[in-house]
Amino acid sequence: MLIASCQEKKQTEIRWVHSKTIALADVNPIGIAQGEKGIWLSDGDRNRLVLIDNSGVVLKTIDSLDRPMHIASEGEMLVIPQYGNDEILRFRESEKEIVRTWDSLDAPAGVAIKGAQIAIADFYNNKVHYTENSNDWITFGKEGKADGDFYYPTDVHLTESNIWVADAYNNRLQVFDKKGNHLKTIGEDQKMNAATGIFVSDTNAYTTDFENDRVLVFDLEGSLKQVLDTDISKPTDLIIIDEVLYVTNYKGKSLSLYTQQEVEISNQEGHDTHNDHHDHEDHKD
Amino acid sequence: MKIKAIILLVAVVMVSAFAKAQKTMDTFEVQVDGLGCPFCAYGLEKKFKEFKGIKKVAIDIETGDFSFQYPSEKNLTMQAVVKQVEKAGYTPITSKITRADGTVETNEANTTELSAESVVVTQQVLVAGKCGMCEARIVNAAGNIPGVTDATWKQELQMMKVTYDKSQVTLDGIQSEIARIGHDTKAHKATDEAYADLPGCCKYERLDQ
Repeated sequence: MLIASCQEKKQTEIRWVHSKTIALADVNPIGIAQGEKGIWLSDGDRNRLVLIDNSGVVLKTIDSLDRPMHIASEGEMLVIPQYGNDEILRFRESEKEIVRTWDSLDAPAGVAIKGAQIAIADFYNNKVHYTENSNDWITFGKEGKADGDFYYPTDVHLTESNIWVADAYNNRLQVFDKKGNHLKTIGEDQKMNAATGIFVSDTNAYTTDFENDRVLVFDLEGSLKQVLDTDISKPTDLIIIDEVLYVTNYKGKSLSLYTQQEVEISNQEGHDTHNDHHDHEDHKD
Repeated sequence: MKIKAIILLVAVVMVSAFAKAQKTMDTFEVQVDGLGCPFCAYGLEKKFKEFKGIKKVAIDIETGDFSFQYPSEKNLTMQAVVKQVEKAGYTPITSKITRADGTVETNEANTTELSAESVVVTQQVLVAGKCGMCEARIVNAAGNIPGVTDATWKQELQMMKVTYDKSQVTLDGIQSEIARIGHDTKAHKATDEAYADLPGCCKYERLDQ
């Protein structure tokens, strides 16, 4: 029996594996967005955004903001939700303007942009605002626990067809169509404690589980595929850039980078949820 | 000479007015546990911005120390401060007001006094909770029970360590009070209503009883 166990057949699978941690000096990152010359991070504690290179060196800052949170970008355009003064700022090198919504906001915590489309997670109002043309808005959600309700939403993500919401203190993700109709609820059974950030790729939905120091990876139907917990400390946001998954560690003052690798798993493991630290050695820079 | 005197007089008046303005601010110091989440910490700060005239708002997420200054003529009360902290979703552990005239007010409610008949014991008891905010709520509630002299709660153990005078209160009575604020204990289960009133991040797994 023992021999049979030792000779258990191995199979391989593509998984996210921790590859590197970038330390950030005096930055407690909350939001992350791709910049043309680096990575933008919101540093709410210091009321600023910083642009860093791939070593964590600060190249540039945007100061005098009021608690900037989950930022978004498109090309050189940055969209900055300011939690402290309820303003959404559209920022370019040469100009900045306030995004006008139809309803007043109370602590906007996250934004998403896709062409003329903008979505906003409105934290204390327990609502999401969405415009497809940067002019006409729809609003959906109310405080509660039923499908379609929110309990302090903190982040949003726009895909081709849908609006994904990090329903932070309901400890789940929710998916809506672009008319605000509820489609799906994900992750309620994962015992998350504050699902603070969200990113959605063509195949997966990713969320930061803040208090549990984890990132959960779901397929788009909501099945849990992998749990990432190596070198993650109070994560708030995440993004994939050039096939690298970047996780912001608010308390850890760092970015954890994960890449996809083919790893061996046992047959038994193949039936379980996978942690990122199986069958590999972590290596930090 | 006359011009110099006028300038000096104006300067003295301005310094005096400035000094007077500085003296007419009350200083508030509140300690709140469980401020590890920036959404919560900034939210607390934001709710206090509703107090028009508030100055020098400072918040330390690591320690939970929150302080600000407020015009003394508005006579902001401890009760109003505690209410605003609770509105932001927190239970303040300690609050201190230093008035402009130097008087100090605190919310230290526990007035337990020991006597010759006192029998002080320390015991541990199971109390369910989930986070730093739960800890603040449990410790604060236990500490305010007459007869209790000290209380701590460890999230990882789900245990409360409480020191109390058996001549004034029983362990069962302490557990009953903890259950009343929404936390299941070994002997008493919180009502569904009290549990529902807890903030989202405090929704722990209910105990089987």
